[in-house]
Amino acid sequence: MSLFELPIVTSGPAARCASGGCATGGCTSGGCSSGSAERASETSRREFLKTATTMTLGAMSLTLLPGAMAGDEVPAAALHPGGPAANKPMYGFLIDTTKCTGAGKCLTACRVENGVPEGQARTWVERYVHFKDGRVEVDLVPEIGYAASGEPQPAAEDVLRAYFVPKLCNQCVDAPCNQVCPVHASIKSPEGIELVDTDRCIGCGYCVQACPYGIRYMNHETNVADKCNWCYHRVMRNEQPACVEACPTGARVFGRVDDPESEISKRLATLPTSVLKQHLGTLPLTRYVGLTDEVT
Amino acid sequence: MTSFNDTRHLWALGAFLAAVGLVGMVVRRELVPDDFGRQGPYRASALADVAARPSLFQADATCHACHEEVQHERAGKPHEAVRCAHCHGHGVEHVATARRAAEDPSVSLPPAAPWDGDFLTKLDLYVTKDRATCLACHTAVVGMPADFKKIDVAVHLEEQGASEPLAKDTCFECHGGHDTAP
Repeated sequence: MSLFELPIVTSGPAARCASGGCATGGCTSGGCSSGSAERASETSRREFLKTATTMTLGAMSLTLLPGAMAGDEVPAAALHPGGPAANKPMYGFLIDTTKCTGAGKCLTACRVENGVPEGQARTWVERYVHFKDGRVEVDLVPEIGYAASGEPQPAAEDVLRAYFVPKLCNQCVDAPCNQVCPVHASIKSPEGIELVDTDRCIGCGYCVQACPYGIRYMNHETNVADKCNWCYHRVMRNEQPACVEACPTGARVFGRVDDPESEISKRLATLPTSVLKQHLGTLPLTRYVGLTDEVT
Repeated sequence: MTSFNDTRHLWALGAFLAAVGLVGMVVRRELVPDDFGRQGPYRASALADVAARPSLFQADATCHACHEEVQHERAGKPHEAVRCAHCHGHGVEHVATARRAAEDPSVSLPPAAPWDGDFLTKLDLYVTKDRATCLACHTAVVGMPADFKKIDVAVHLEEQGASEPLAKDTCFECHGGHDTAP
């Protein structure tokens, strides 16, 4: 009996039987008994396909799994992107929107420090203006500041309230950008900071799409993904990130949250803070003071 | 009853699969970095690669290491939180040259250039008494915190009876430089 002589069941009670639906009553009219022969051959073919698929996938996974052939011990904490690994410092970032004056000093500092091309940014500052007629307008703080840019400003008498919201990487514990990378160029460092391996990145841009905060971008000079990494190179030398170092008003605070004596720990202990887009469940490490519902 | 006589096919299939597996292993060995997966699902040495980037933005402490008198001038003043880099540029080249000069006496430190009015990327050092540097922060902008000091230059100069209201260094005449009073 060749493959082509097998009865191909496409409809009728037997088809329902083959897919496990007999118990629902579809076969009680006698269709099952007449189709029992077909069912037997159908089942053996399904069994064969199941076994073959399992074995193929199993064999493939052996060659694809990272580290499966390397024989190295992989610490479980490093594999699970749930915050810092054991014995590693835990960093945090706090943005106090009530202190930001929109001078834009952090923007230049970041650009210089990280060589960010003109027209792109690792961090930016949004301004939310609530007008008395109910409108809310959002614009971006120019890097040279509003005063030097000469941009027309809304009339102060029309404004109910306004505030600046600096944006930077949230270093999500459950980072969507990390999960989508097809070449493992997205790195969750042992300290919990999300990095880009620029040597491995193929520039596909999946991570740029995946970040719900729009932090990642394709660097148009290097053609690989780039993102705010809290100035990882500075942090590893016990220095502050460039934007924090540049902020004259203390709107950006960086430090170790596992040290109760650090400024960020003291502020986190006394101020009500929240995170951006909490409903997405990405567990951001960057926390904000003074967020409103309009800020996303 | 028919006996199973397709053994040759099985051997051929087995050989084919073994060849595919062998090629796969070789390709994987070539493509996957040696240190991949050592710390996590990534190239372990990438962490050091990222961390190797030089720190360019100079913290005030770097400047104060040589310019101690400025640190004393600024200590406790309202503008202590303003960074050296905000008025003097990022001074990356200046610091690098100063470090070279400390080891090699033949290296000389060029004096700071005057500010060219560009707020953006400045890797060298400059001096300025341009009021634009003051107004970059103190111009009233919608959204500033209520308790932040805002200056309307025209109004302020008229109130103070400034002799040369159009002079670029007009702020520094009354407010000083490093020891800027409110």
